[in-house]
Amino acid sequence: MPTRISRRRWLTTSVPALGGLLLTGCSRETFVPPRVRGGLIGAADVLTMSTNRLLLSGQQLAREYSRSDVADPFPTWNQTNPRNAEYQRHASEGFRNWRLPISGLVQRPRDLSLDEIRRLPPRTQITAHICEQGWSAIGEWTGAPLQRLIEEAGGVTPAARYVVIDTFDGWYEGYDLFEVAHAQTILAYGLNGRDLPRGNGAPLRLRVERQCGYKNLKFLKSIRVVDSMADIGRGTGGINSDFGFHWFAGV
Amino acid sequence: MGVDSLSMSEARHPAAETSSARPSSAVHSYNVRICHWINLVSCVYLLWSGVHIFLDFPELYWGHTGYRGYPAAFRLADWGLSWEEAGALGDRRWGRNYHFTAAWVFLINGLVYVVWNLYSSHFRNRMWPARDERTVAHVRAELRDHLRWRSSRHANGSYGTLQKTSYLILIFVFVPLMILTGIAQSPGFTAAMPALLDMFGGRQTARTLHTIGTVVLMLFVVVHVLEVAAAGFFVKVRSMITGK
Repeated sequence: MPTRISRRRWLTTSVPALGGLLLTGCSRETFVPPRVRGGLIGAADVLTMSTNRLLLSGQQLAREYSRSDVADPFPTWNQTNPRNAEYQRHASEGFRNWRLPISGLVQRPRDLSLDEIRRLPPRTQITAHICEQGWSAIGEWTGAPLQRLIEEAGGVTPAARYVVIDTFDGWYEGYDLFEVAHAQTILAYGLNGRDLPRGNGAPLRLRVERQCGYKNLKFLKSIRVVDSMADIGRGTGGINSDFGFHWFAGV
Repeated sequence: MGVDSLSMSEARHPAAETSSARPSSAVHSYNVRICHWINLVSCVYLLWSGVHIFLDFPELYWGHTGYRGYPAAFRLADWGLSWEEAGALGDRRWGRNYHFTAAWVFLINGLVYVVWNLYSSHFRNRMWPARDERTVAHVRAELRDHLRWRSSRHANGSYGTLQKTSYLILIFVFVPLMILTGIAQSPGFTAAMPALLDMFGGRQTARTLHTIGTVVLMLFVVVHVLEVAAAGFFVKVRSMITGK
């Protein structure tokens, strides 16, 4: 059964959380995209993101559903099998030799194998994947919290502002530390109780449950922690915003 | 005064004499006029960008789940436009950018309008039907006028009961429902307010209702423009621009 949150509980959790955010986590990156577009569209971007972040300042969880709501097989969309030679080699080896580097502004840069990631405390969540096109499907995702992975690399340095994820199909996206810290922000290796299928992003895909599908990257290749998105791609914060989509995809 | 000569020159509604006529220098206040046209521009953008978003995924579903291949409540393909043809017409990137920008303009403009007119008693004085307007006989007489294609304008350009009622329902029931069904599709807003999902019974239901609401709103606009035309299009549009 979906958890229903009463109005009182919503008020009692969100109001103190809002105060907490205003006192502690009030950084620009939490409310404003890495590069604000010009004109009214840019103003609307800032309004949308800051409104969302104020409302979500308690890091509330996205709705979790029951197993009977799950779509199985889970629909696939866009890239389902990157042609990249390195990816094909890893796939043919069952991702045994695939390793995920965590580099940049972390205390101890390192890389992790799929087995090492699987040995981290897992989290399973039954959530809705919401495509910005309009479709949505519910899946049971199992993975390691992104925050936990970064802690495996000693945590971020004080200058860190964004986590950049690169994929085997050439996508790259930036995520601010508020998004990274969320309990449901996981790197999923399991879907509906089985290994993540290739069409859904094997060996590892990102789940950011409070943003649209295009921020939930598949076929993960590496993780970088940076202080600015200016030098990545065209500098807007990720491949989607480089192509003119919203950087913050909470709507 | 243009307004007086106008109302004298036209057949007056039988209920006009009983309706409480109020002295007013302008047919529409500054606030109403400015908000009306900003609202029109933002609604045109909302509609056009919404159509673009819809064309990129031209199917509707009920409940929490809906994807290509899942049982659909509505498929544009059943109405002669294939998925590929619709996709070629629609541009969701343009659509999403302009939809959410126009939504903020619409929301802020609407809030200014509502707060201003609550404060200035516009709603109470001009939009809340007076006691004598809330009778069955009055509404029946108005309906008869409408069906005979006769303008039911009251003295001083005040609104008829049906008009008042439809405006109030539009502003205080319909528009909030459109906003709620809109943000009930957002992964961010629904994480903050999961009640939105329960209110409508799921994200896909909200999307379907949002689309149905768009059609209802377009019907409202058609009737609204026909009413304006029946009452004298040029004069009515001029009064919404100049206030005279």
